[in-house]
Amino acid sequence: MEAQFLTGGDESLYVKLGDEISLEVNGRVKSLMQKLEADPVDGIAEMVPTYATLMIHYRPEKILYGQLVEEVKKRLSETGGEKEEVSQIVKVLPICYDREFAWDLDECAAFENVSVEEFIRMHSSHEYYAYMLGVAPGHAYMARFEEPFHFKRRTEPRVHINGRSIVAAENQSNLIPFDQPCGWNIVAGTPCNICDYSKEEPFLVNAGDWVKYQPVSRKEYDQIRADVEKGTYKLETYVKKAVK
Amino acid sequence: MGIIVENPGIQTTVQDEGRFGYQQFGVSPAGPMDTQSFYLANILAGNKRGESALEITFMGPSLKFEKDNIIAVTGADVSPTVDGAPIPMYQAVLVRAGSTLAFGVASGGSRAYIAFTGGLDVPVVMGSKATLMRNKLGGVEGRKLEKGDRIGFCNPKTSLPKMELRRLEPEKFPEKEITLRVVTGPQDSAFTEEEVRKFFWYGATVTNESDRMGIRLEREEPLHHIKDGNILTDGVAFGSIQVPTNGQVIIMMADRQTTGGYTKIGTVISVDLPKLAQAQPGYRVHFVRVGIQLAQELYLRKQKELKGLERYLGQ
Repeated sequence: MEAQFLTGGDESLYVKLGDEISLEVNGRVKSLMQKLEADPVDGIAEMVPTYATLMIHYRPEKILYGQLVEEVKKRLSETGGEKEEVSQIVKVLPICYDREFAWDLDECAAFENVSVEEFIRMHSSHEYYAYMLGVAPGHAYMARFEEPFHFKRRTEPRVHINGRSIVAAENQSNLIPFDQPCGWNIVAGTPCNICDYSKEEPFLVNAGDWVKYQPVSRKEYDQIRADVEKGTYKLETYVKKAVK
Repeated sequence: MGIIVENPGIQTTVQDEGRFGYQQFGVSPAGPMDTQSFYLANILAGNKRGESALEITFMGPSLKFEKDNIIAVTGADVSPTVDGAPIPMYQAVLVRAGSTLAFGVASGGSRAYIAFTGGLDVPVVMGSKATLMRNKLGGVEGRKLEKGDRIGFCNPKTSLPKMELRRLEPEKFPEKEITLRVVTGPQDSAFTEEEVRKFFWYGATVTNESDRMGIRLEREEPLHHIKDGNILTDGVAFGSIQVPTNGQVIIMMADRQTTGGYTKIGTVISVDLPKLAQAQPGYRVHFVRVGIQLAQELYLRKQKELKGLERYLGQ
């Protein structure tokens, strides 16, 4: 896809490099960001990479829209070829499908026309790639490659959902670190802290990580939660078997 | 030390210009809702315009001073008093140790700012003192002020150069009806041209479900998408106008999420955002389409005004 330049008001520019969730498109976004970090444009304040778009926040007193587009185009023509290094470490994240956390589990399973057990299998038996962080500190946007669901987000966003919820839509499943308004369906909860400012590495999952969900019972959830609060819980990891 | 909170008001938070540089990790910038009033308060108090200050919502706090310092109050009229005697807004005023600074209910707007010369002594978290309540970050323990909180001054003063010039005509915010200029995009193409025109033809009303994160508006006739209101998640700006599938409008404000998955029909231009920040529930909002060039020209003019004021005051 030809790069598209879209306005986000007078202080932001969107550089759209694709239309899909894929390692390839996301890699292009990251490459452009790295290029702009290595060969910076004066006036760029901050960049936010997402699945297929790089958002550039800038200062119009330093650079105006048209000039910025030209500078980005120049750098875009100089990227490509270099392959984004994808990590092979998979983090194992315990999650619990108890209805106390999984507000929309039954509705989602019914929508997919499968049993709740089958729904849990589809949701938890594949590895997810964390494409980006956004919305809230440490909120990971993750997607799997296999067995996508058919449901999307809810039509009416909820005004409040609980932190440590696991939400899903199509092939995506995100980690919600804090209480927030949310338009996604909630299919599970995790006992782990998704963001902990007291830690040197505050975010449980970073962009570029792989994650595998590990279903746990309500009892195991409580146990893990107690360990997390004591600061003794450690995520298991393993090395990915085959390269996608 | 500095001030003791005797009464916290409805929602009083420490804000500086915002926490920038961490949006790629999902950290919202926070910062003031009405940047213009915030900057003016700081400039009048002799500070850098992005210095830490207090943001008041609807009803102000009551603060006991433990040390002399100069303050400036801007934004909606919150009837400030020192030991019961009215003090002017939009003016640098010396408050003595032992005095109590108190406020009434905001009129003609929703938010006001109290700048203290030298700023407030709260921890710097990820490069900023701004409070992001939703994620319990920054300010005083990541929350709004509570009775009994004690906040120190960083560098209090009893006089400033050009003290007699540190006064401005109080801002009059438009009431009941406001007009916001909008640059369309990034997802105006998710609507037919006629539907985009309808967005500008018909206004919307500010609802009670509005906070520092976003201002929700209600349209009598919801907007219709060509397909639906979902997009592949991308970034969010201050002023992004989100339209989810229900066709209603949410304008993203200071505590905005860094990214979002709803179509954004346009962005409110930066110089008009203070009007929206000051709007009360029930206000009618009209949208007018402008181009990026005009939006940036207005931005530059605003920057020049602020710079001019700083120069005038020798800052």
